[in-house]
Amino acid sequence: MTNDMPDEPAIAIKGLYKIFGPDPQSVLPLVQEEGLGKDDLLEHHGHVLGLRDIDIDMAPAKITVIMGLSGSGKSTLIRHLNRLIDPTAGQVIVNGEDVLGYDEARLRRLRQETMSMVFQKFALLPHRTVLQNAGMSRRIRGESQEIADREGGKWLDRVGLGGNHAQYPHQLSGGMQQRVGIARALASDSPIMLMDEAFSALDPLIRTDMQDLLLELQNELHKTIVFITHDLDEALKLADHLVILKDGAIVQQGEPQYILLHPNDPYIEDFVQDINRARVLRVRSVMRRWDGSAQDFAGAVDPDATLEDLIAQSGGDAGATYRVERDGDPVGVLDMKDLLRALVPARPGDAAARDDSAA
Amino acid sequence: MAFYDRLFDALGLRDWCSGAGDGGPMTMAELLARSSGTESDPAPVPFWQTPFPSLDELNTACPAIGRTRDMTDGVENAFLAIKDPLKVVLDPLTQPLSWALNGSLELFQTIPWFVLIPLLGLLVWVASRSWALVGFVAGSFLFLAFIDHYSYAVQTLSIIFVCTLICVALGVPIGIAMSRSDAVQKSTIPVLDMLQTLPTFVYLIPLIFLFSVTEPKLYGIAIILYAIVPVIRLTDLGIRLVDKDVIEAADAFGMSDRQKLYGVQIPLALPNIMAGVNQTIMMSLAMVVIASLVSAPGLGVLVLRGIRNLELGVGLVSGFGIVLLAVLLDRVTKAALGRINASQKA
Repeated sequence: MTNDMPDEPAIAIKGLYKIFGPDPQSVLPLVQEEGLGKDDLLEHHGHVLGLRDIDIDMAPAKITVIMGLSGSGKSTLIRHLNRLIDPTAGQVIVNGEDVLGYDEARLRRLRQETMSMVFQKFALLPHRTVLQNAGMSRRIRGESQEIADREGGKWLDRVGLGGNHAQYPHQLSGGMQQRVGIARALASDSPIMLMDEAFSALDPLIRTDMQDLLLELQNELHKTIVFITHDLDEALKLADHLVILKDGAIVQQGEPQYILLHPNDPYIEDFVQDINRARVLRVRSVMRRWDGSAQDFAGAVDPDATLEDLIAQSGGDAGATYRVERDGDPVGVLDMKDLLRALVPARPGDAAARDDSAA
Repeated sequence: MAFYDRLFDALGLRDWCSGAGDGGPMTMAELLARSSGTESDPAPVPFWQTPFPSLDELNTACPAIGRTRDMTDGVENAFLAIKDPLKVVLDPLTQPLSWALNGSLELFQTIPWFVLIPLLGLLVWVASRSWALVGFVAGSFLFLAFIDHYSYAVQTLSIIFVCTLICVALGVPIGIAMSRSDAVQKSTIPVLDMLQTLPTFVYLIPLIFLFSVTEPKLYGIAIILYAIVPVIRLTDLGIRLVDKDVIEAADAFGMSDRQKLYGVQIPLALPNIMAGVNQTIMMSLAMVVIASLVSAPGLGVLVLRGIRNLELGVGLVSGFGIVLLAVLLDRVTKAALGRINASQKA
């Protein structure tokens, strides 16, 4: 597994708890010290446990995906980052500063300049044109209409809405409205982007388009993106760092390829079962490390190629062995037998055996 | 011998009761009883006819307890006692209302009919962008002018114009305050309920004592108190109904409260606020007729004349004029509302 986590995270969440109810502080010790569960807390104390002991480091210029089913607390979690919701306990540290210490004015500046947000239901202003919506963040900051129109227009063009500037949101389709939402977030030029189930309300085909658009933009802009989703395919496609949430607690977090190959919880195994592994897993995740031994190779393959690519390249030959090369240098060896084995979901028993072969 | 005599005897309060003198003027019932010579002890009251121990009943047994009439007298005296200090405060405060009503009446009446009717047509066009409506309004006014009801109609219109403006100027801020705080909402709603359910004539009673009947502000206040309720309610409702997702987005992009109010909440609540304004106009039109009892000029005066002198024709025609005015005010504000709705449907 590659370790791409730099020293200083853009956003660090430490020991975050959120309890909903009339007096959250009174029951906090029960959860923190006695480890009371969600059901007990609701039944005996009348409080709802939203989030429990969340620790996440989000690396700058990477996409962190938080995945969970509905009710897992993922939307609650993302709202703690810009304090649309205040936590019961814990810290949210953005660029080295604890945002919980911010006063009203400083918090507004954080939201105006450091973080922008994209919403599941788009949440565009219905009485403003597409262009006014896109430039909204600039106007809020007090910049001139001219700058707002220029920046808004630029990003609308970039997301493919060049001809829709003067239209109103209700005149656009869902996918186009969400493009406006993304343009609005990008126009604020903030280093951090929060995306709350941004593509969940869209048709599957349009969703794929939007995912590609996001990856394309990310290649160019290198923003710190926090992406919420309930869709594992989407999570695996976008994530540099994947966090899986269940009942308000983290079940597993790490590099998505690693989670796929080493699920540590039956809950995740269930999730992982329905995935097209050949399309998601990459050669680097299943290859053996290069040991210099000369061998008969059927060809060379890039470490970032998916297994599907390699199967296509091999023409279905299950006996061949490939040399994995990055920029011409050999980095590993991939036996097609390992590849085929990786296509079958791991059972807890053979996870250890797989550990040896995976780099 | 009254029914509750024994009660006071038993409680040992007889001395206190009889020490209080004769207990004021005689009631009509007592007078009748005396003149028919049956003042001597009435027959014992059967158990089934036990009277409720009301003030009047207790008074017959114990003169020290006041009668209901004394209670209403007390209310009246209390009101009269605070009337003068209240007037010192309210008179200058409400004087601008008199000026506004007088000024507007004068203005509407000095503009000649051949200027005012096209002007109204233009206003309707700006608000509604509908030629049919412009034609309807112009036609209605020409008809009213033809039957010599023009000046009355214009007086009514001018009063409604001033009162609606003031209702909006006061009601919208109150509605906004209500939408922002549940406490304000909770304390304001009973007042609004009272204003809406109080019989319209009851408004006039304390106002007549406070201000002289010749002052326009008397009917101005009555109309405003009655008609301001819908614009307050619908402003509050409209702002509370603004899509929570949009408000959250506004928060997430760091809008200040002021930016949120003027940039998001009021524009999105505008259809509801306009519906409130429409209702306010309708209610001030209803009140302006009753206000003619206290010297408000306009079509109401003719209606009143119709009732007072049993001039059926006068009453019916001026009543029809009021209906016509109501219909056209309603159509114009609804058309304006429709335009707002069309520009921002979600």
